[in-house]
Amino acid sequence: MLESLKRTLCRLLGRGGSAERPSPRDAVAADAARNTTVGATTMNKITSIADVRRHFLNNKEPIYFISATNFNLLGIGDWVGNFRHINYIDCFEGQQRNVFVPKEKFPRDFESIEDINNYLLEHKEVIDFIQSRADGEKAGTAAFLMFDEHTEEVCEQLGLRIAFPPAALRSRMDNKIETVRIGNKAGVPSVPNVLAKVGSYQELCEVSRELGDDLVVQTAFGDSGHTTFFIASEEDYYKHAEEIEAEAEVKIMKRINCRGSAIEACATRCGTVVGPLMTELVGFKSLTPYKGGWCGNEMFAGAFTQEIRDKAREYTFQFGEALREEGYRGYFELDFLIDMDNGEVYLGELNPRVTGASSLTNVAAFAHSDIPLFLFHLLEFSDVDFDLDIDEINERWSHPESVDSWSQLVIKHTDESVDLLTAAPRTGVWRMGADGGITYDHYSYHPHAAESEQEGFFLRISGAGDFRYEGADLGILITRGRLMDDDFQLNERAKAWIDGIRGQYAGQSLQDPVVEEVAVSHAVGGGNFKIL
Amino acid sequence: MDDKTLHFRSLSEAVPGPKWRSLFDTHWPAYEAWYLAEGERERPGYLACLNALRRHMPELLPTYRTLCDLAGGGDLAARFLSLYQPPPYITGCSQAVLARAEETLLARNYDYPPELCEGSILLTRWNERRVIAMTDCLWGVLDGMNDGGLAVSLAFGGRKAVGDGFGAPIILRYLLEFCDTVPEAAEVLARVPTHMAYNITVADAAGRYVTAMIGPDRRASIRRVPVATNHQKRIEWYAHALASETLIRERQLSILVDDEATDVARLEAAFKAPPLFRHDYRRGLGTVYTAFYRPAEGRVRYHWPGLDLDLGFDHFPEEWVTVRYGVRERLGG
Repeated sequence: MLESLKRTLCRLLGRGGSAERPSPRDAVAADAARNTTVGATTMNKITSIADVRRHFLNNKEPIYFISATNFNLLGIGDWVGNFRHINYIDCFEGQQRNVFVPKEKFPRDFESIEDINNYLLEHKEVIDFIQSRADGEKAGTAAFLMFDEHTEEVCEQLGLRIAFPPAALRSRMDNKIETVRIGNKAGVPSVPNVLAKVGSYQELCEVSRELGDDLVVQTAFGDSGHTTFFIASEEDYYKHAEEIEAEAEVKIMKRINCRGSAIEACATRCGTVVGPLMTELVGFKSLTPYKGGWCGNEMFAGAFTQEIRDKAREYTFQFGEALREEGYRGYFELDFLIDMDNGEVYLGELNPRVTGASSLTNVAAFAHSDIPLFLFHLLEFSDVDFDLDIDEINERWSHPESVDSWSQLVIKHTDESVDLLTAAPRTGVWRMGADGGITYDHYSYHPHAAESEQEGFFLRISGAGDFRYEGADLGILITRGRLMDDDFQLNERAKAWIDGIRGQYAGQSLQDPVVEEVAVSHAVGGGNFKIL
Repeated sequence: MDDKTLHFRSLSEAVPGPKWRSLFDTHWPAYEAWYLAEGERERPGYLACLNALRRHMPELLPTYRTLCDLAGGGDLAARFLSLYQPPPYITGCSQAVLARAEETLLARNYDYPPELCEGSILLTRWNERRVIAMTDCLWGVLDGMNDGGLAVSLAFGGRKAVGDGFGAPIILRYLLEFCDTVPEAAEVLARVPTHMAYNITVADAAGRYVTAMIGPDRRASIRRVPVATNHQKRIEWYAHALASETLIRERQLSILVDDEATDVARLEAAFKAPPLFRHDYRRGLGTVYTAFYRPAEGRVRYHWPGLDLDLGFDHFPEEWVTVRYGVRERLGG
């Protein structure tokens, strides 16, 4: 325990870390010692990974990640000077210095993450904070999970540059129908499908005759688990008819026996950098109430065959290059559906942004031996000229030894009940005992602080005083090792972690009808934004 | 029905400081509840408030920022203090200008629920001019004057329209902080948007006067009219007009002001008696106070039955005045 704490402190203070895993700052210090002639101020062109590290560690311009929580970019502050998270939820109870959360907040029924971000950017404390760190009219750079045109207007006024392509372009790329078309153009196949307007069950059957009668229908936009409909009968259709028929066009796919996977990449001017293929945890009833809803990822080299991994990486590279032709650049994520019957790799969907999987992509071994994928994104949106050998990086990152094993569970409240939380597990490192019970070990902000499979880093989302309702995010567990078995079912360790974390929550049922009405309205009225 | 008691307080503080802060601390809980009455989301965000002030009344920004800091620097108080898109509210009120060769008088009765009146009379020098004003929303103005010779007063305009703009008290504060004459004030009233219908009467030391009928949904009508009650041109909200007796009061005032025999004493007497003085406290339309501004002399008299408080730029004692409002009985000091 003491050693563990000391190591964590060392990392935080940047004074050298554990022998087996040097911190990024140490690595940069070593690089800097080798090359003292090139400093951030004199660096004209970035030509090596060491240059990138040094450039960002010496960064003076404020860089912000503005979102509901800092989950998606956990730990990026270790690599980037002057990096701050501006969040609505304080997952750290005030302990995390680079997380700014306005003190004065009102419980609102937010309609989306864009809505939260716009609220934050128009909040006086946030504006005062940003302006206090600004250099004249230049307030720095902002990154988001989600943003819209209004966010762009506000950022322009505040002098914040957005490190992403324009919202309008992102929105076009986010359209699942458009994704299929880009994929087809880039030679990246989708699951056999038709794109059509559907007005009735009969019409659905007619347009999809060649796909069989076991179908998956997706609408153009929407969160995982909310707009994917499994239709094998007329009865299934009528459950979702209203949503399907409201769309100008839907994607109708043949239902295949597949495994979900995710891969993140970054389209840069030097080429597309591709991260490792991850498995997806989808629709587990112990984690999410949404059928088909995303509830975590696993990263480990042996999840799929080398052939499948190579194919997915190749497709991702091709897709990234196609995105650049469309004018999109920067971070993106692709879902691939791996057909378990024939080994085919099919394009699922595109998320033109950082995602929930980014928290794993940016912590694995390859990210620390080189740089996290998100730094390529920041570099692409910086003013600095760079020329990096992307093929060499991709080659390195494709090796199984570059990928250590990490998993994450996104734990939602799955009951229909609504109550007020009176207790919640703290953010930090938790330890699992021999009996499967869990205890709090120590505070940390970084998943790496969980050093073995007996430890897990938990990021609390819902805390005491919050309402617990169906679909509410309770928290996220990140741990080393796998959480699914070879059949893609949750393993015993995962189940023990889920039970253990849930057991740390306690709620008080709502006696007062007025309070209950408010809570239900909060839950039903759109307050249940999800951590993506 | 129990009597209602209200404490009026005159306070002199040249630049915003501890006295203003104490006012904020006293009244903020009530204002916060009012501001949130329709839900926090219904009120514009801080950035929108700041932008609206910057666009329409930029000269007020330094004072606004100082007051926000004094109020603790928080988000909600700053939004409230901008008075941009506050919750809708209405008042009664009668006001009239008597411009005679020897002096100009702006008189007004403030008809409102006493428990909702802040009761603060502030003498300040925030932006070069000294200003004496009956405040609302902690720095807004119900009526007041500056040492440049301008006096202003507001009355609800008797219409239900609500739109994109400011609560009228902040517009009156802006007038007193940055205008000396009626033409200057008229220019401001023509361009600054209001979120509800108000009749604002302005008089200056030179004997000029106008009444601006402003609203969120039409251009301001600014005419050389010396009286205003609670309707704009024609009656649009009959229930309010009936309850507030706006036509009766307007007619009474018009007759008085048009009569060359009316002098200051006669107009003052009229404001102290029905139908201008109203006892309808049960419905929140009773007269809370009467004010008589003499902008050329820099003097004002606040009046309650049986009690007067005379203040001026050269004579401004800090005092407490306690007033009891009953349903039928006379007011007492």
